[in-house]
Amino acid sequence: MEFGPIIRSLQRNKVRFLLIVVQIAITLAVVTNAITMIRTANENISKKSGFDDDNIVWVRTRPFSPAFKDLPYRVSVVNADLRAIQGIPGVVGVANTNFLPWGGGGSSGEVSAGGGDGSKFRTQMYYNTPGILDALGVHLVSGRPLRDTDLDDDPNSKAPSTAIISRELEKLVFKGQSAVGKQLRDSDNSVVNVVGTFDPFYNPYGWPIHEYAVLYAGHVSRSGAMFLVRVAPGSLKQVIPQIEKRMLQANDGRNIQMQTIDEIKDIYNTQGRIVRGGMSIVIALIVLVTGLGIVGVTSFTVTERRKQIGTRRALGATKGAVLRYFLLENWIVTNAGLILGVAAAYGLNILLVSKAGGAKLDWRFLVVAIALLWVQGIVATLVPALRAARFSPVIATSGA
Amino acid sequence: MLRYNVRIAIKSLRRNPVLTAVIIGGIALGICASTTFTTVRHMFARDPLPGKSANLFYVRMDNWDPHTPYPTTPNAPGLPIPPQISYRDAMALMRSNIPLRQTAGFTGAMTVYPDPRVARPSTEAIRLCFSDFFTMFKVPFAYGGPWDKRADAKAEQVVVIDDATNQKLFGGINSVGKRVRIEDREFTVVGVLQPWRPFIRMYDLNGLFVAPPEPVYMPFSLTPSMQIRTSGNSDGWKSAGNTFADFLNSDTDWVQFWVELRSPAEAEQYRRFVDDYVLEEKKHGRFPRPMMNRVTTMQDLMVESGVIVPQVTAMAAISVLFLAICALNLTGLLLAKFLARAPEVSVRRALGATRVDVFLQHITECELVGLAGGVLGMLLSIGAMRLIGKLITATSVIALDSEMILAALFLSLGAGLLAGLYPAWRICSVQPAVQLKI
Repeated sequence: MEFGPIIRSLQRNKVRFLLIVVQIAITLAVVTNAITMIRTANENISKKSGFDDDNIVWVRTRPFSPAFKDLPYRVSVVNADLRAIQGIPGVVGVANTNFLPWGGGGSSGEVSAGGGDGSKFRTQMYYNTPGILDALGVHLVSGRPLRDTDLDDDPNSKAPSTAIISRELEKLVFKGQSAVGKQLRDSDNSVVNVVGTFDPFYNPYGWPIHEYAVLYAGHVSRSGAMFLVRVAPGSLKQVIPQIEKRMLQANDGRNIQMQTIDEIKDIYNTQGRIVRGGMSIVIALIVLVTGLGIVGVTSFTVTERRKQIGTRRALGATKGAVLRYFLLENWIVTNAGLILGVAAAYGLNILLVSKAGGAKLDWRFLVVAIALLWVQGIVATLVPALRAARFSPVIATSGA
Repeated sequence: MLRYNVRIAIKSLRRNPVLTAVIIGGIALGICASTTFTTVRHMFARDPLPGKSANLFYVRMDNWDPHTPYPTTPNAPGLPIPPQISYRDAMALMRSNIPLRQTAGFTGAMTVYPDPRVARPSTEAIRLCFSDFFTMFKVPFAYGGPWDKRADAKAEQVVVIDDATNQKLFGGINSVGKRVRIEDREFTVVGVLQPWRPFIRMYDLNGLFVAPPEPVYMPFSLTPSMQIRTSGNSDGWKSAGNTFADFLNSDTDWVQFWVELRSPAEAEQYRRFVDDYVLEEKKHGRFPRPMMNRVTTMQDLMVESGVIVPQVTAMAAISVLFLAICALNLTGLLLAKFLARAPEVSVRRALGATRVDVFLQHITECELVGLAGGVLGMLLSIGAMRLIGKLITATSVIALDSEMILAALFLSLGAGLLAGLYPAWRICSVQPAVQLKI
């Protein structure tokens, strides 16, 4: 191996190779930290709600008829809507609810275990008609589901309300005991009878209560009503126009708006997608640009050494030996850059973690990025090095 | 001399078009990436109301549960006080005559009934506010103007509509004085806005602040009689009661409150006023927590509310590093290019060109490349920003402003200069004798 001559020639052209070393170091720092950001974004994007997101559509009515001022009228329209939607072929479940998966928030309050030590737990809270579990595609774990007889629309009622809660909330509040048949007290200090638990439930919230939910039995219709409709897999396209048609047939004193949960989730994930897309492009471009830099510098070196190469060839060096010389030279330069780059990667990562809420660097990304840059170095050197290998030994003796 | 140098530089660049394209393309990519991501950050970070925002203050008061503070999250560790105030407190604050201007506000949803021949009734987002709102937030009018104070006091049925609504309802004419039905009441149009799309909805940082402004504005004082509820966030820790009057009188927080104060002294005076108000209310059993009231400037509020998402900062930092790579790359390529020209330069030196001449000639070439790359990069980033704007919300527009264009030009010239210094120095210090010996 030609380590001796390579090191000596590198020493003679310090700046030229130092440029490559620094480029590779920064490239490694950027690539590893960009991969880290992409992974964090991906983790958020691929989070599962546990609901049948692909087959649920969110329906919202915007009434304009003055008749909607009257609460009993609104409740009767909601019930008519539920029947109308239920009757559409392909509909698996429907509920009137103020819960919207992936809405980026919702409504919440504090509960404590009835008869417990009074410690309070913040949880998401929604009102629903009994079809809610079918509409989300979520399983009942214990107890019973909500029933029509649980619905109580009298705003002045002092009777305890009925609810089912998520299994994670059950674990949090009742410490491993079953919640079924027990009571909760909510912020108004009113009593809630827990009749069942369900799982899974995940809805990202501004506070860390993503997996906690109390689903009360109740109609929700104030300045409009909202519904979640779940359909048989793949039939959303056919069902959506039917929903609007049937609901307007039932009552046309309002407008209907619809959005699939996938669309809503897309909006929720916008920021993650920008990070993912932007950083992927940056990685691709930075590797390309650094690669071009290596091609440029090596080409120049090759041209400059034409005579020496010719002389070596004339003295018996094979084409392979010439090729190997340049590849080895680049490999040494690349490795110097990578060593510096590991330090730079951790430095940049510390900065991003402290100043920009980034995630910690995973050493496995370093390994991946180092492998990537090795390949890049070889490919980029190969272009000019192959040209060098083709130089004829005649060059050594020719005048110019 | 400059013209001569530029001519020589262009000649040299045309001699090897592939290399020139690679060099310019590299700089363009660097400028594109760095201007795109720094502009995205700049859109969030820049002052939404230059010259005005330092005098606009947002008011918060801690009326939360005596047992637990207002919850904050690990991700957005804001202050543990409710981000909005209650209706009754907003009405009480409105009685102060310290501020130059002041407004309470929230977004409601109401049905607008166009002429049945024009369109079906539709539900629109409506901002409830006081007449000062429009002046405080520099809302631009095309026709008419804000309603007057009397309309605030008497809850008159007047509206300001935006350009799109004016197009839809009245075909874009000067509709001041025309009437429009909203819910069950007739309203008179007093003002029509110009097309207005601030990147950040700076007067309401709760919820989706990149959303467009509301299409319709009406006096806040209509809230009780029309029983308008917020369609934004509302936070409560105890029952809000059953009737609408109970709700208005409760400790539920759902109103944003802004005041315009002329000086730090006035801000101090206003802070004392808010504290005194809370102390007085404490006597009646309200505000059970330790005193924590905040009168915050718009700029401080934007920082505190996390308008600048950390990821945006991280992307801007990484894209600037990318530009650094492009500059280093340029140095390598220019070095190779210039040194290959050593014999030619030696001839010029032998014929009497000074080192300075040679240096300037080559720096000119570098700057030309930097400038070309910068312009190309900016064009590319305009496209990239359109795309990102669309991703943020359907109507968000991210555009280069003069500040960012200047920054990009400066960056590209700087990159060209920094990248070219060493190669130009190397080429001007070649020994003509060595090269010409052959």
